[in-house]
Amino acid sequence: MIDKIVHMFEVAAGEGHGSLASILLIGFLFGAIIHWTRVDKFEKIAGFAMLEDMTVPKMLFLAIGTASIGLYFLIEAGYAHYHIKPLMLGGVVIGAVLFGIAMAIFGKCPGTGPVSIAEGRIDVLVGAIGGIFAGALFTVAYPYLKTVMGPDFGKITLPSLFEGRETLVILIYGTVLVVIAFLLPDKEYLDPEEDEQKASF
Amino acid sequence: MPRKISWIIGGLLMGLLILFTFSVFGADRPIGASTYVPYFASLLFGLDPQNYEYAAEIENAGAWEGVMLLGAFFGALFMSLFVTKTFRFSVVPSLWKERKNGSAVSRLLWSFAAGFVMIIGARLAGGCTSGHFLSGASQLAVSGLVFGGVTMATLIITGRLFYNRKGEKR
Repeated sequence: MIDKIVHMFEVAAGEGHGSLASILLIGFLFGAIIHWTRVDKFEKIAGFAMLEDMTVPKMLFLAIGTASIGLYFLIEAGYAHYHIKPLMLGGVVIGAVLFGIAMAIFGKCPGTGPVSIAEGRIDVLVGAIGGIFAGALFTVAYPYLKTVMGPDFGKITLPSLFEGRETLVILIYGTVLVVIAFLLPDKEYLDPEEDEQKASF
Repeated sequence: MPRKISWIIGGLLMGLLILFTFSVFGADRPIGASTYVPYFASLLFGLDPQNYEYAAEIENAGAWEGVMLLGAFFGALFMSLFVTKTFRFSVVPSLWKERKNGSAVSRLLWSFAAGFVMIIGARLAGGCTSGHFLSGASQLAVSGLVFGGVTMATLIITGRLFYNRKGEKR
Protein backbone atom coordinates (compact mmCIF):
# COMPACT_ATOMS: atom_id res chain seq x y z
CA MET A 1 0.00 0.00 0.00
CA ILE A 2 2.83 2.44 0.86
CA ASP A 3 4.31 2.07 -2.62
CA LYS A 4 0.91 3.00 -4.08
CA ILE A 5 0.75 6.16 -1.96
CA VAL A 6 4.28 7.07 -3.08
CA HIS A 7 3.17 6.44 -6.66
CA MET A 8 0.20 8.80 -6.13
CA PHE A 9 2.59 11.59 -5.09
CA GLU A 10 4.85 10.88 -8.07
CA VAL A 11 1.96 10.97 -10.55
CA ALA A 12 0.57 14.19 -9.03
CA ALA A 13 4.00 15.86 -9.08
CA GLY A 14 4.62 14.89 -12.69
CA GLU A 15 1.40 16.22 -14.23
CA GLY A 16 2.56 19.79 -14.70
CA HIS A 17 -0.31 21.03 -12.55
CA GLY A 18 1.67 22.57 -9.73
CA SER A 19 4.41 21.24 -7.47
CA LEU A 20 3.51 18.89 -4.63
CA ALA A 21 3.90 21.83 -2.25
CA SER A 22 1.42 23.98 -4.15
CA ILE A 23 -1.12 21.12 -4.51
CA LEU A 24 -0.90 20.49 -0.75
CA LEU A 25 -1.17 24.23 -0.06
CA ILE A 26 -4.29 24.51 -2.26
CA GLY A 27 -5.77 21.57 -0.36
CA PHE A 28 -4.79 22.97 3.05
CA LEU A 29 -6.46 26.31 2.27
CA PHE A 30 -9.50 24.57 0.75
CA GLY A 31 -10.00 22.53 3.94
CA ALA A 32 -9.28 25.50 6.21
CA ILE A 33 -11.74 27.86 4.46
CA ILE A 34 -14.50 25.23 4.40
CA HIS A 35 -13.95 24.35 8.04
CA TRP A 36 -13.68 27.95 9.25
CA THR A 37 -16.99 28.93 7.64
CA ARG A 38 -18.45 25.66 9.02
CA VAL A 39 -20.05 24.88 5.64
CA ASP A 40 -18.93 21.23 5.88
CA LYS A 41 -21.40 20.67 8.71
CA PHE A 42 -24.53 18.55 8.33
CA GLU A 43 -26.44 21.50 9.78
CA LYS A 44 -25.26 23.73 6.94
CA ILE A 45 -25.66 21.34 3.95
CA ALA A 46 -28.70 19.26 4.99
CA GLY A 47 -29.88 22.48 6.68
CA PHE A 48 -29.96 24.08 3.22
CA ALA A 49 -31.99 21.10 1.95
CA MET A 50 -34.48 21.78 4.78
CA LEU A 51 -34.23 25.55 4.09
CA GLU A 52 -33.11 26.10 7.69
CA ASP A 53 -29.69 27.50 6.79
CA MET A 54 -28.70 29.53 3.72
CA THR A 55 -24.97 29.87 4.42
CA VAL A 56 -23.98 27.30 1.75
CA PRO A 57 -25.79 28.85 -1.24
CA LYS A 58 -24.78 32.38 -0.20
CA MET A 59 -21.12 31.42 0.00
CA LEU A 60 -21.24 29.35 -3.22
CA PHE A 61 -22.89 32.11 -5.24
CA LEU A 62 -20.47 34.74 -3.94
CA ALA A 63 -17.42 32.55 -4.65
CA ILE A 64 -18.59 31.62 -8.16
CA GLY A 65 -19.70 35.16 -9.01
CA THR A 66 -16.39 36.74 -8.05
CA ALA A 67 -14.32 33.88 -9.49
CA SER A 68 -16.12 34.00 -12.86
CA ILE A 69 -15.25 37.67 -13.40
CA GLY A 70 -11.72 37.29 -12.01
CA LEU A 71 -11.09 34.21 -14.13
CA TYR A 72 -12.15 36.04 -17.30
CA PHE A 73 -9.51 38.73 -16.72
CA LEU A 74 -6.91 36.15 -15.66
CA ILE A 75 -7.45 34.23 -18.90
CA GLU A 76 -7.45 37.42 -21.01
CA ALA A 77 -4.08 38.30 -19.44
CA GLY A 78 -2.74 34.86 -20.33
CA TYR A 79 -2.30 33.65 -16.74
CA ALA A 80 -4.92 30.86 -16.84
CA HIS A 81 -6.83 28.62 -19.24
CA TYR A 82 -10.35 27.31 -19.55
CA HIS A 83 -10.89 23.66 -18.58
CA ILE A 84 -14.49 23.02 -19.62
CA LYS A 85 -16.20 19.71 -18.84
CA PRO A 86 -18.32 18.44 -21.75
CA LEU A 87 -22.09 18.40 -21.36
CA MET A 88 -22.82 14.65 -21.28
CA LEU A 89 -26.53 15.23 -20.83
CA GLY A 90 -27.64 11.79 -19.59
CA GLY A 91 -24.76 11.47 -17.14
CA VAL A 92 -25.03 15.01 -15.83
CA VAL A 93 -28.80 14.88 -15.26
CA ILE A 94 -29.02 11.34 -13.80
CA GLY A 95 -25.85 11.98 -11.80
CA ALA A 96 -27.13 15.30 -10.43
CA VAL A 97 -30.45 13.75 -9.34
CA LEU A 98 -28.63 10.98 -7.42
CA PHE A 99 -26.11 13.49 -6.08
CA GLY A 100 -28.79 15.89 -4.83
CA ILE A 101 -30.73 13.13 -3.03
CA ALA A 102 -27.54 11.82 -1.42
CA MET A 103 -26.34 15.30 -0.44
CA ALA A 104 -29.61 16.05 1.40
CA ILE A 105 -29.38 12.79 3.40
CA PHE A 106 -25.61 12.64 3.95
CA GLY A 107 -25.26 16.38 4.56
CA LYS A 108 -21.82 16.30 2.87
CA CYS A 109 -20.28 16.27 -0.58
CA PRO A 110 -17.01 14.71 -1.73
CA GLY A 111 -15.00 17.87 -0.96
CA THR A 112 -16.50 18.57 2.46
CA GLY A 113 -16.35 14.91 3.58
CA PRO A 114 -12.62 14.83 4.45
CA VAL A 115 -13.04 18.20 6.22
CA SER A 116 -15.72 16.72 8.49
CA ILE A 117 -13.77 13.51 9.10
CA ALA A 118 -10.90 15.73 10.30
CA GLU A 119 -13.29 17.07 12.94
CA GLY A 120 -14.05 13.58 14.31
CA ARG A 121 -17.34 12.83 12.54
CA ILE A 122 -17.67 9.03 12.54
CA ASP A 123 -20.87 9.05 10.44
CA VAL A 124 -19.00 10.81 7.64
CA LEU A 125 -16.18 8.26 7.78
CA VAL A 126 -18.79 5.51 7.35
CA GLY A 127 -20.31 7.42 4.42
CA ALA A 128 -16.85 7.74 2.85
CA ILE A 129 -16.43 3.95 3.07
CA GLY A 130 -19.76 3.66 1.21
CA GLY A 131 -18.30 6.03 -1.37
CA ILE A 132 -15.16 3.91 -1.80
CA PHE A 133 -17.32 0.85 -2.56
CA ALA A 134 -19.28 2.94 -5.07
CA GLY A 135 -16.00 4.06 -6.66
CA ALA A 136 -14.93 0.43 -7.07
CA LEU A 137 -18.31 -0.57 -8.52
CA PHE A 138 -18.26 2.38 -10.92
CA THR A 139 -14.76 1.46 -12.12
CA VAL A 140 -15.77 -2.15 -12.78
CA ALA A 141 -19.16 -1.30 -14.35
CA TYR A 142 -17.89 1.67 -16.39
CA PRO A 143 -18.15 -0.04 -19.81
CA TYR A 144 -21.90 -0.50 -19.19
CA LEU A 145 -22.54 2.75 -17.32
CA LYS A 146 -21.00 4.95 -19.97
CA THR A 147 -23.73 3.94 -22.43
CA VAL A 148 -26.28 5.98 -20.41
CA MET A 149 -24.00 9.03 -20.01
CA GLY A 150 -24.51 10.57 -23.46
CA PRO A 151 -25.42 12.34 -25.69
CA ASP A 152 -22.29 14.49 -25.65
CA PHE A 153 -23.04 18.15 -26.50
CA GLY A 154 -19.37 19.04 -26.19
CA LYS A 155 -17.61 21.70 -24.12
CA ILE A 156 -20.24 24.43 -24.39
CA THR A 157 -20.29 27.54 -22.23
CA LEU A 158 -22.89 30.24 -21.72
CA PRO A 159 -20.86 32.98 -23.50
CA SER A 160 -20.35 30.71 -26.54
CA LEU A 161 -24.13 30.88 -27.07
CA PHE A 162 -23.97 34.70 -27.34
CA GLU A 163 -21.32 35.26 -29.96
CA GLY A 164 -19.84 38.75 -30.03
CA ARG A 165 -21.17 39.57 -26.55
CA GLU A 166 -18.99 37.20 -24.50
CA THR A 167 -17.52 39.84 -22.15
CA LEU A 168 -20.92 41.35 -21.39
CA VAL A 169 -22.42 37.92 -20.65
CA ILE A 170 -19.64 37.09 -18.19
CA LEU A 171 -19.88 40.45 -16.39
CA ILE A 172 -23.67 40.25 -16.09
CA TYR A 173 -23.50 36.61 -14.92
CA GLY A 174 -20.91 37.34 -12.24
CA THR A 175 -22.76 40.39 -11.00
CA VAL A 176 -26.12 38.59 -10.88
CA LEU A 177 -24.63 35.73 -8.81
CA VAL A 178 -23.10 38.18 -6.31
CA VAL A 179 -26.43 40.03 -6.03
CA ILE A 180 -28.26 36.71 -5.48
CA ALA A 181 -25.76 35.83 -2.73
CA PHE A 182 -26.69 39.01 -0.86
CA LEU A 183 -30.43 38.77 -1.55
CA LEU A 184 -30.84 35.19 -0.23
CA PRO A 185 -32.13 35.39 3.36
CA ASP A 186 -29.38 35.42 5.97
CA LYS A 187 -30.85 32.42 7.77
CA GLU A 188 -28.63 30.23 9.91
CA TYR A 189 -29.19 27.17 12.11
CA LEU A 190 -26.90 27.58 15.10
CA ASP A 191 -25.79 24.20 16.47
CA PRO A 192 -26.81 24.03 20.15
CA GLU A 193 -24.33 21.19 20.89
CA GLU A 194 -21.49 23.43 19.85
CA ASP A 195 -22.85 26.65 21.35
CA GLU A 196 -22.43 28.07 17.86
CA GLN A 197 -22.66 31.84 17.39
CA LYS A 198 -23.12 33.94 14.28
CA ALA A 199 -19.80 34.95 12.76
CA SER A 200 -18.77 38.43 13.84
CA PHE A 201 -16.78 39.26 10.68
CA MET B 1 -8.60 34.24 16.10
CA PRO B 2 -12.37 34.26 15.53
CA ARG B 3 -14.01 30.84 15.92
CA LYS B 4 -15.98 31.28 12.72
CA ILE B 5 -15.86 33.49 9.63
CA SER B 6 -18.89 34.76 7.73
CA TRP B 7 -20.07 33.56 4.33
CA ILE B 8 -18.86 36.89 2.88
CA ILE B 9 -15.23 36.44 3.97
CA GLY B 10 -15.40 32.71 3.25
CA GLY B 11 -16.94 33.24 -0.20
CA LEU B 12 -14.33 35.82 -1.16
CA LEU B 13 -11.46 33.62 0.09
CA MET B 14 -12.91 30.63 -1.81
CA GLY B 15 -13.19 32.79 -4.96
CA LEU B 16 -9.52 33.76 -4.60
CA LEU B 17 -8.51 30.13 -4.05
CA ILE B 18 -10.37 29.09 -7.23
CA LEU B 19 -8.48 31.81 -9.14
CA PHE B 20 -5.12 30.80 -7.64
CA THR B 21 -5.73 27.14 -8.53
CA PHE B 22 -6.70 28.01 -12.13
CA SER B 23 -3.72 30.34 -12.57
CA VAL B 24 -0.35 29.26 -13.89
CA PHE B 25 1.10 30.30 -10.49
CA GLY B 26 -1.06 27.68 -8.77
CA ALA B 27 -1.95 24.51 -10.65
CA ASP B 28 -3.27 25.65 -14.08
CA ARG B 29 -6.31 23.41 -13.54
CA PRO B 30 -9.69 23.56 -11.78
CA ILE B 31 -10.39 22.39 -8.23
CA GLY B 32 -12.14 19.02 -8.23
CA ALA B 33 -12.97 16.67 -5.40
CA SER B 34 -14.74 13.49 -6.45
CA THR B 35 -12.33 11.71 -8.81
CA TYR B 36 -10.08 10.84 -5.87
CA VAL B 37 -12.76 8.48 -4.50
CA PRO B 38 -12.69 5.91 -7.35
CA TYR B 39 -8.91 6.51 -7.46
CA PHE B 40 -8.55 5.43 -3.80
CA ALA B 41 -10.94 2.55 -4.52
CA SER B 42 -8.72 1.39 -7.38
CA LEU B 43 -5.67 1.51 -5.06
CA LEU B 44 -7.44 -0.39 -2.27
CA PHE B 45 -9.06 -3.04 -4.45
CA GLY B 46 -6.13 -3.37 -6.84
CA LEU B 47 -8.13 -2.28 -9.92
CA ASP B 48 -5.11 -1.35 -11.98
CA PRO B 49 -5.19 0.92 -15.03
CA GLN B 50 -3.97 -1.87 -17.38
CA ASN B 51 -7.18 -3.82 -16.84
CA TYR B 52 -9.76 -1.15 -16.13
CA GLU B 53 -10.52 1.59 -18.64
CA TYR B 54 -11.93 3.93 -16.00
CA ALA B 55 -8.93 3.51 -13.68
CA ALA B 56 -6.68 4.51 -16.58
CA GLU B 57 -8.87 7.50 -17.48
CA ILE B 58 -8.78 8.96 -13.97
CA GLU B 59 -5.23 8.09 -12.92
CA ASN B 60 -3.83 11.62 -13.29
CA ALA B 61 -6.84 13.55 -12.00
CA GLY B 62 -7.33 11.05 -9.17
CA ALA B 63 -3.73 11.34 -7.97
CA TRP B 64 -3.84 15.16 -8.07
CA GLU B 65 -7.08 15.25 -6.11
CA GLY B 66 -5.83 12.60 -3.70
CA VAL B 67 -2.89 14.85 -2.75
CA MET B 68 -5.14 17.93 -2.69
CA LEU B 69 -7.71 16.31 -0.38
CA LEU B 70 -4.93 15.08 1.89
CA GLY B 71 -3.98 18.74 2.25
CA ALA B 72 -7.66 19.58 2.89
CA PHE B 73 -7.81 16.96 5.64
CA PHE B 74 -4.82 18.50 7.41
CA GLY B 75 -6.08 22.05 6.85
CA ALA B 76 -9.36 21.14 8.51
CA LEU B 77 -7.64 19.16 11.27
CA PHE B 78 -5.41 22.14 12.05
CA MET B 79 -8.40 24.50 12.19
CA SER B 80 -10.56 22.16 14.29
CA LEU B 81 -7.77 21.59 16.83
CA PHE B 82 -6.34 25.08 17.16
CA VAL B 83 -8.75 27.70 15.83
CA THR B 84 -12.38 26.58 16.07
CA LYS B 85 -11.52 23.99 18.76
CA THR B 86 -14.48 21.88 17.62
CA PHE B 87 -12.68 18.53 17.32
CA ARG B 88 -14.65 15.78 19.05
CA PHE B 89 -15.76 12.29 18.04
CA SER B 90 -19.46 12.29 17.18
CA VAL B 91 -21.94 10.14 15.29
CA VAL B 92 -25.35 11.83 15.11
CA PRO B 93 -25.51 15.52 14.05
CA SER B 94 -27.75 17.86 16.10
CA LEU B 95 -30.10 18.71 13.25
CA TRP B 96 -30.51 14.99 12.36
CA LYS B 97 -31.57 14.39 16.00
CA GLU B 98 -34.03 17.25 15.76
CA ARG B 99 -35.59 16.41 12.38
CA LYS B 100 -35.01 12.66 11.86
CA ASN B 101 -34.16 10.53 14.90
CA GLY B 102 -31.64 10.04 17.67
CA SER B 103 -30.47 6.60 16.57
CA ALA B 104 -26.78 6.14 15.80
CA VAL B 105 -27.51 2.97 13.80
CA SER B 106 -30.02 4.79 11.60
CA ARG B 107 -27.59 7.66 10.99
CA LEU B 108 -24.71 5.30 10.11
CA LEU B 109 -26.80 3.17 7.73
CA TRP B 110 -28.17 6.23 5.94
CA SER B 111 -24.67 7.76 5.77
CA PHE B 112 -23.25 4.62 4.20
CA ALA B 113 -26.08 4.41 1.64
CA ALA B 114 -25.96 8.14 0.83
CA GLY B 115 -22.16 8.10 0.54
CA PHE B 116 -22.50 5.23 -1.93
CA VAL B 117 -25.22 6.89 -4.04
CA MET B 118 -23.36 10.21 -3.95
CA ILE B 119 -20.24 8.80 -5.61
CA ILE B 120 -22.23 6.93 -8.27
CA GLY B 121 -23.99 10.24 -8.99
CA ALA B 122 -20.83 12.33 -9.03
CA ARG B 123 -19.01 9.93 -11.35
CA LEU B 124 -21.97 9.62 -13.75
CA ALA B 125 -22.12 13.42 -13.87
CA GLY B 126 -18.33 13.71 -14.19
CA GLY B 127 -17.98 16.05 -11.23
CA CYS B 128 -19.37 17.27 -7.91
CA THR B 129 -19.93 20.48 -5.98
CA SER B 130 -16.27 21.39 -6.52
CA GLY B 131 -15.62 20.34 -10.11
CA HIS B 132 -18.99 21.15 -11.66
CA PHE B 133 -20.20 23.90 -9.39
CA LEU B 134 -17.28 25.90 -7.96
CA SER B 135 -15.01 25.36 -10.97
CA GLY B 136 -17.51 24.62 -13.77
CA ALA B 137 -19.93 27.42 -13.01
CA SER B 138 -17.01 29.86 -12.59
CA GLN B 139 -16.20 29.15 -16.24
CA LEU B 140 -19.90 29.45 -17.18
CA ALA B 141 -19.77 25.84 -18.40
CA VAL B 142 -23.26 24.65 -19.34
CA SER B 143 -22.44 21.22 -17.85
CA GLY B 144 -21.77 22.87 -14.47
CA LEU B 145 -24.91 25.01 -14.61
CA VAL B 146 -27.15 22.03 -15.47
CA PHE B 147 -25.52 19.99 -12.69
CA GLY B 148 -25.92 22.82 -10.18
CA GLY B 149 -29.55 23.49 -11.06
CA VAL B 150 -30.66 19.84 -10.98
CA THR B 151 -28.68 19.15 -7.78
CA MET B 152 -30.18 22.11 -5.91
CA ALA B 153 -33.72 21.17 -6.99
CA THR B 154 -33.42 17.50 -5.91
CA LEU B 155 -31.58 18.56 -2.73
CA ILE B 156 -34.50 20.73 -1.62
CA ILE B 157 -37.18 18.21 -2.68
CA THR B 158 -35.36 15.46 -0.74
CA GLY B 159 -34.95 17.77 2.26
CA ARG B 160 -38.71 18.28 2.27
CA LEU B 161 -39.64 14.60 1.86
CA PHE B 162 -36.96 12.82 3.88
CA TYR B 163 -37.03 14.80 7.12
CA ASN B 164 -39.82 15.60 9.57
CA ARG B 165 -41.30 19.07 9.40
CA LYS B 166 -40.01 21.61 11.87
CA GLY B 167 -41.66 21.10 15.27
CA GLU B 168 -43.44 17.93 14.11
CA LYS B 169 -43.69 15.08 16.63
CA ARG B 170 -41.53 12.07 15.74
